[in-house]
Amino acid sequence: MTHTAVVVGGNRTPFVKAGTKYASASAQDLLTAAIDGLVARFGLAGAKIDEVAAGAVLKHSRDFNLTRESVLGSALSPHTPAVDLAQACATGLEAVIYTSNKIRLGQARSAIAGGTDSASDAPIVVTEGLRKAILRASRARSLGDRLKALASIRPSDLMPVPPAVIEPRTGLSMGESQALTTTRWEVSREDQDQLSYDSHQNLARAWDSGFFDDLVTAYRGVSRDSILRADTTLEKLASLRTVFGRGDDATMTAGNSTALTDGAAVVLLAEESLARERNWPVLAKVVDSQIAAADYVTGAEDLLLAPTRAIPELLERGGLTLDDFELFEFHEAFASTVLATLKALEQNGVGAVDRAKVNVDGSSLAAGHPFAATGGRIVASLAKRLAERGSGAKGLISICAAGGQGAVMILEAL
Amino acid sequence: MGAKLPRGEVSLDDYRQDLEQSAAYARVTGFSVKDAVPATWLHVCTFGLQGRILRSKEFPFSLAGLVHVSNEMVLHRPVGVAERLRLAVTAENLQPHKKGATFELRGRIHVGDELVWEGSSNYLSTKADVPGDPPETKRLPMPEAQAGGASQRWRLPADLGRQYARVSGDWNPIHLHPLTARIFGFPRPIIHGMWTHARALAAFGGQLPDAYRVRVQFTKPILLPGRVGFVVDGDSFAVVDKEGKPKLVGELTEVPAAS
Repeated sequence: MTHTAVVVGGNRTPFVKAGTKYASASAQDLLTAAIDGLVARFGLAGAKIDEVAAGAVLKHSRDFNLTRESVLGSALSPHTPAVDLAQACATGLEAVIYTSNKIRLGQARSAIAGGTDSASDAPIVVTEGLRKAILRASRARSLGDRLKALASIRPSDLMPVPPAVIEPRTGLSMGESQALTTTRWEVSREDQDQLSYDSHQNLARAWDSGFFDDLVTAYRGVSRDSILRADTTLEKLASLRTVFGRGDDATMTAGNSTALTDGAAVVLLAEESLARERNWPVLAKVVDSQIAAADYVTGAEDLLLAPTRAIPELLERGGLTLDDFELFEFHEAFASTVLATLKALEQNGVGAVDRAKVNVDGSSLAAGHPFAATGGRIVASLAKRLAERGSGAKGLISICAAGGQGAVMILEAL
Repeated sequence: MGAKLPRGEVSLDDYRQDLEQSAAYARVTGFSVKDAVPATWLHVCTFGLQGRILRSKEFPFSLAGLVHVSNEMVLHRPVGVAERLRLAVTAENLQPHKKGATFELRGRIHVGDELVWEGSSNYLSTKADVPGDPPETKRLPMPEAQAGGASQRWRLPADLGRQYARVSGDWNPIHLHPLTARIFGFPRPIIHGMWTHARALAAFGGQLPDAYRVRVQFTKPILLPGRVGFVVDGDSFAVVDKEGKPKLVGELTEVPAAS
């Protein structure tokens, strides 16, 4: 008995710049809102879904059961189980892989997969000195021991450690790592700005044409992605000062790098026969997926180019080439990530990607990138586009992640 | 010579809900920050108008002796945080009571011409005297606790009254600090009844219906800091002390949603 996992639809909050309209909402609030929007769209109030998988990259220790707590706050049946997953920026796509595999194995017939992140409500880390002293004090058996533990706290221990996206093994921020890649793969400023410009133009066109009407639900008075600049120009992008890289090599700006973003996105997946029974849309099936990792610590490879390892493995297993795809979704961590990925695929002999098929409805540069939510955004949008193209249309998703990892997936319209 | 309530309604057109305040309210009372707001938040929206009636020259009773006895509200349909509201409050239904007199503050909220929320707060004035026989009041049924007791335990911190005052605008000194509470005869501050009400509604999580009627009776004050339990059995719910005695008894029923 074989089972087919299909994408039924999706829902997300509009994405907004961190510290703005969603500043008072937590990652859990955002995920709950995304789930509730999906529940409303597909009439799932009170329904038991076989499993909900989601996660967040910026996670408070109180959110140890973030997804289950969001389910309990949603209108889904309390009998809906949930799991938290984490694979940095690939979290959302990994959640789709996990749930679609369960559907394919017959362990689930319906599932929700996605992710959420609030850079506004990020956990603040305390210093090691303070953390250890508090732990010692909580273990102390006498008042004296407790006071002794607390007395060991130095004034410098009280400084909060500012949140940052730093690779623990290299000490480089993601932008600094990508600056190395940008230089190595000789990605020009002009190409980066052009890709960023296209992203804004494409996303704006998708919004204007109503493409997101059944993919996004307004939240906190926001009904459209707020980072989107439909009126930006190549001249404006060219005028921005560089923020990553050194000297003449510096080409990366705030305009061709993603902004810190708040938002959540979820996808409804089902076994094909269940979707047909319920008269749910059958947008696309999950064909296959692959994870890979790069040796970035030694500098031999690039932090964000692991998808260039995953893609050939995936193509080989399916007997496919890059020419078999009508659409490509390359997550725009930075414009230069996408451009270096395309160059590497070509140089490694995997093949050339037609730029006109890439990110046709915009991607993270224009929409924003609430880390764990990006996978859900891409899967729902691509599945809808493929369904419009008609049966057999294939799409490839590629998402890079911290730790030198990459997740890729093939969707195909049924 | 009996006391008379002020006549007529006080109202506010085109009331814009404060997004930040509604999120902070959700945080303090245990709700998720959703665009569809809880019925108890809409009560908070009318709280300023309630105050205008209670502080008006025509209002016959002293504020210091007022006790919030019970509350009832109906949410006719989900109300969005971005919706503009028309708020109206009246004072009605003055009745004799064995400890004084009771009256209701009735609130109504419209969006356009549509009635979306109604609320009624029943107050007892112990310093009032209204002639006549007190009408009988029905006690809400106490829910049956599961074997083993309350299924939820809430820890109420010492500053919860100040937290709730900030998000609700109810700065009654009995809720704020031991010193101010002592002036009014409480050994410690007590939490606002409407916090307990909201927290109980939040305990239903995502299972709250789109449209509902909720009634609560405040039976005993909760001292801060404190610990209470929550018991639910079908439509009935209660907030209880550690012996299982009720602090609040309530009833939640789904009503057909107005579309």
